Amino acid sequence: MRERSGSVSRLTVPVRAAAQRVAFPFLIFLSVALIVLGKADILVIERARTSVSDAMAPLLEALSRPLGTVATGVQGVEDHFGVYAENGRLREENARLLQWQEVARRLQTENAELRALLNFNPEGVRGFLTGRVIANSGGAFLRNVLVDVGAHEGVERGQAAITGEGIVGRVTEVGERASRVLLVTDLNSRIPVVLDLSRERAVLAGDNTSRPRLLYLPAKTGVKVGDRVVTSGSGGIFPPGLPVGVVASVEGGVVRVEPYASLSRLEYLRIVDFGLNGVLPQSSIPPPRSPRQSRRGQVEAEGQ
Amino acid sequence: MKFVLFQRDQGIVNRTLPMLSALLCVVASVVPLHLPGFAEVAPGFVLMAVFHWSIYRPDLMPFLAVFLAGLCLDLLNGAPLGLSSLVFLISRAVILSQRKVFVGRSFAVVWAGFVALVAAAEALEWAIASALNTMAIDPRPFLFQAVLTVALYPVVSYLLARVQRNLLMRA
Repeated sequence: MRERSGSVSRLTVPVRAAAQRVAFPFLIFLSVALIVLGKADILVIERARTSVSDAMAPLLEALSRPLGTVATGVQGVEDHFGVYAENGRLREENARLLQWQEVARRLQTENAELRALLNFNPEGVRGFLTGRVIANSGGAFLRNVLVDVGAHEGVERGQAAITGEGIVGRVTEVGERASRVLLVTDLNSRIPVVLDLSRERAVLAGDNTSRPRLLYLPAKTGVKVGDRVVTSGSGGIFPPGLPVGVVASVEGGVVRVEPYASLSRLEYLRIVDFGLNGVLPQSSIPPPRSPRQSRRGQVEAEGQ
Repeated sequence: MKFVLFQRDQGIVNRTLPMLSALLCVVASVVPLHLPGFAEVAPGFVLMAVFHWSIYRPDLMPFLAVFLAGLCLDLLNGAPLGLSSLVFLISRAVILSQRKVFVGRSFAVVWAGFVALVAAAEALEWAIASALNTMAIDPRPFLFQAVLTVALYPVVSYLLARVQRNLLMRA
């Protein structure tokens, strides 16, 4: 720095140097204090997080649109090279799916008849919103995304986030314009599930890998690779029967599930209100204003 | 006499530009890229900015700026608040103490120093994250993030050097 004449600047330089020397330990202490306080799940921190997300949401939305186009372009190039093989594969899959369609239709009529017999009232979907993923948490041990719908559109904590393929996660923080969804692969994600055929209950626990583990399976379990995993509805977190994934490996006593939803390529999510509160406490975050009717139950207008 | 806190030759531009570049890096860290397989982990752009400014213009990026950048990153990432701040603060302190090694040396030397810093920063982050979750987290994403960060440093460093040369007023 250039030497400046004048008594004032001679005053400021030592003051600033001293301030820097004090700043370092003080800020270190502040950071550690924040980390420790963060474990206590303080409301202020959550409010700060949602405020920052809301503030950045417009910028992130604007940025993620052109990048989405680039990603589609890259995808297009990739697809181009595998067209022939993909064609054959799709034909086979189509034939199989047509058979399943037949089965599904038969089961649907049978289901309707049985429900009518029992006067069964299914708990239905109360409403859903489509949100775009505007930010991907880039941390090495965090698996969550920001979507561009918030309390303004009627999103509430604890709601399920799904894609057409299966469940993606749950809403953990809600701001006015943006919400954070914790993916099933996150360390903190625990989802009660059940094996589709054997009806054994378990908990799907994320561990920061792309294949979450199944915990609390019974000791003499008959689980094998290829078993389908669906939500069990325990704890009122998700309604039962939502597709979760398929068992991918059973090595060393650890059962890993490959989620149906492709979590590394999320672009649009559906946030569904099943009318369940689950185990997330109704915190003192003010409840959202009555959701705008125009956005509820809207069919996905933007699609890939 | 008015107590002037800031030196007169540094304008607003000087003071805000490094912080602005750090904030841009924060945003760049969370924008979804949808690259197959890469979407999980983002390169540590903010660490690159902290490293660059701490070596070449530490006066423009004091500890408070570094702390705030870490806070913004944590808030957007959904990470435990204070984690990135801690890593960046310690990084800056270490860089400041070793500054003489890097100033005026070739890019290869600076890059090598950056590799060491990234390794230490990722290890520290892994240790804190494991302690917070009371379990040993899989270190592979941290390793991958380190490699990605190191690989992209030349690009970001070039951009920051251009900013420094062209937009900052000489001081």
